[in-house]
Amino acid sequence: MATRTITLDPITRIEGHLRIDAEVNGDKVTNAWSSAQMWRGLEIILKGKEPQDAWIFAQRICGVCTTVHAIASIRSVENALKAPVPLNANYIRNIIIAQHAVQDHIVHFYHLSALDWVDVLSALKADPNKTAQIAQSISDWPGNSPTEFKAVQEKLKSFAAGGKLGIFSSGYWGHPAMKLPPEVNLMAVAHYLKALDYQRKAAQAVAVLGGKNPHIQNLCVGGVATAINMDNLATLNMERLSLMRTLMEETRDFVKQVYYPDLVAIAAAYKEWFSYGAGVTNYLAVPEFPEDTTSTKFSLPGGFITQGDLEKTRFIKNHSDDYLVSNIQESVAHAWYEGNSALHPWQGETKAVYSDFKADGKYSWCKAPRFANQPVQVGPLAQMLICYAHGDVRVKKLVDEANAKIGISMKDHHSTMGRHLARGIRACLMADYSLEQLDKLTANIASGDQTYANRIEIPNGQFKGVGFHEAARGTLSHWIVFKDKKIENYQAVVPSTWNASPRDEKGAMGPYEASLVGNPVADAEKPLEVVRTIHSFDPCIACAVHAVDPEGREITKVKVL
Amino acid sequence: MPFLISGRIRRPHPTTTKQMKILILGAGNLLLSDEGFGVHFIRHLEKNYKLPGNVELFDAGTMGIMVTHKIEEADRVYIIDVINADGKPGTCLRYSKEDFMLKQIPVKMSPHQIGIQEMLLVSEMRGHCPKQLYLLGVIPESTGPGNELSSVLQKSLVHLAKDLVNELGGTAL
Repeated sequence: MATRTITLDPITRIEGHLRIDAEVNGDKVTNAWSSAQMWRGLEIILKGKEPQDAWIFAQRICGVCTTVHAIASIRSVENALKAPVPLNANYIRNIIIAQHAVQDHIVHFYHLSALDWVDVLSALKADPNKTAQIAQSISDWPGNSPTEFKAVQEKLKSFAAGGKLGIFSSGYWGHPAMKLPPEVNLMAVAHYLKALDYQRKAAQAVAVLGGKNPHIQNLCVGGVATAINMDNLATLNMERLSLMRTLMEETRDFVKQVYYPDLVAIAAAYKEWFSYGAGVTNYLAVPEFPEDTTSTKFSLPGGFITQGDLEKTRFIKNHSDDYLVSNIQESVAHAWYEGNSALHPWQGETKAVYSDFKADGKYSWCKAPRFANQPVQVGPLAQMLICYAHGDVRVKKLVDEANAKIGISMKDHHSTMGRHLARGIRACLMADYSLEQLDKLTANIASGDQTYANRIEIPNGQFKGVGFHEAARGTLSHWIVFKDKKIENYQAVVPSTWNASPRDEKGAMGPYEASLVGNPVADAEKPLEVVRTIHSFDPCIACAVHAVDPEGREITKVKVL
Repeated sequence: MPFLISGRIRRPHPTTTKQMKILILGAGNLLLSDEGFGVHFIRHLEKNYKLPGNVELFDAGTMGIMVTHKIEEADRVYIIDVINADGKPGTCLRYSKEDFMLKQIPVKMSPHQIGIQEMLLVSEMRGHCPKQLYLLGVIPESTGPGNELSSVLQKSLVHLAKDLVNELGGTAL
């Protein structure tokens, strides 16, 4: 069969986000290009601004990952000034980070990617009683009753009867690669609708500490502006903290009793997807959850894995580890920026030169970050593999149990479904960490520690710093250079830049690109399999234009040449 | 059909009760000049007007699905955003729910692209989508990097804010 090129170009109103070009030969992808179609511009806006205000702008880079950019930005300034952060402040930040991750993972699984695997129309044919039996056999969740499933199915039917079935027509329902039984589809659709209630609880929990979610208000260089007063009703007190605890417990139960069992059931039904989508098997994660005031001790390890070899993981001690800080470079050989060189982010430049999409030349707004000169995959899979290699007891237990239940081994994790599984495992872990960090916070306050921030005046002179954060989508770093209280250079190397990276000056593919090679495609007009593999990375590109198109024009376009 | 807001053009005047929860939700990206219109709009209202107690102002940034609950909790929602429509930059258009609900869910590559319209569909399926829903949209002039509105949109903002405040019985500070 002839070679054809599929272009998946989700067009938004103003500019696109992520464009994927895949060359299909027969029923397989043989080459691929990942292109970010929109330019962020944050680096330009921040020049000349005051370093202590950077985080307020930085959290506007992205509508989904607001808090993570705020955290990385504030850490970059603290790192530059070697400013200690009080324990209470670190605990509060850690709770926000962990709970935000829970919210993010729930939304990714159900609302972004579940419908790649779940056929909504097939759910119409399901027997609600059987659905309840299946659901109850994998979970103790009290919401899995025949009545619940019947109600959801009725709702679907009423949409169908009202002629609104067209809502689903542009998805890939009925595609030959869809293979869950009707009952499992109904179960997943019911949980898809329910999941919104729990992402909301997570958001509310973050808002108790951070102020108005989605944009947290409570950070400051050297700590947090959230004072906790156990008795005063006007401030954050015991009552608010216990409300937060309840919300976080409910979300944890949803993650463990609904999200995770659903994921394992879907993964087991699509077991062949543990053999596609490995791509780049170099992995990077940074240590997360600082547990002291000088950011030397962390709850979860960081490290670098080369060629999928867990045995030889090089662990990263802390965020100032020279091995980590000095090994990152960004190449612009295939990105729409001036030059062809690779630069360290502190020397990074943001000089845009746009040309058309040229597969053998420049074709993306995304730079190509490299670690020790190699392309790298970041995200929950990277972090979970590094935790596993480090012997983290909880991660080991979760991973080994999943392996036994699904019937896979460690090598299968380097895959499309492996990334979903790792994210589900991470969600369980983050749900637990949220509560543990809250316990530590309350214990620390009870011991008499009332410090939430160290007041810091930004001094004159030149400083540079980096703020690392292991975010929901992977390793994030903000690099800042400031002189006499004004920002001279600012570069954000975000998780999706690592993963969506174009080729570098040596021609080495980025993780999205490499993961598509060998990916099956049953029908080039409906490249569901390509979407599955890209979605498994949880892409979050170029942060962020959103779109309202009142005319309802087509937003995603598939072009087959 | 949308109604033009500038000029004296008829448009629905919904009646308000004190028990009704009203949400004004500003959407947009503050780093891309006019893209941030909705967020600038919320800040402008906060600074310059006093609104009745049942009206909540919410800066939703570029979050789509993650703010569904805010919309579901309200009885009437005004979404303020830039829109993709034909016309001169700065033109404000008002749509009611039927006008801008999508007829289908497009396949998306990133969570950013689960926009407000898709979110409303999911809400509708949950049976929680408010009946009174308005989109007050403005046509942008520039969406390049920058944290300020173009002067054209700044004028539209002031005009649109006055208009909405009148509708809701608010007063200038």
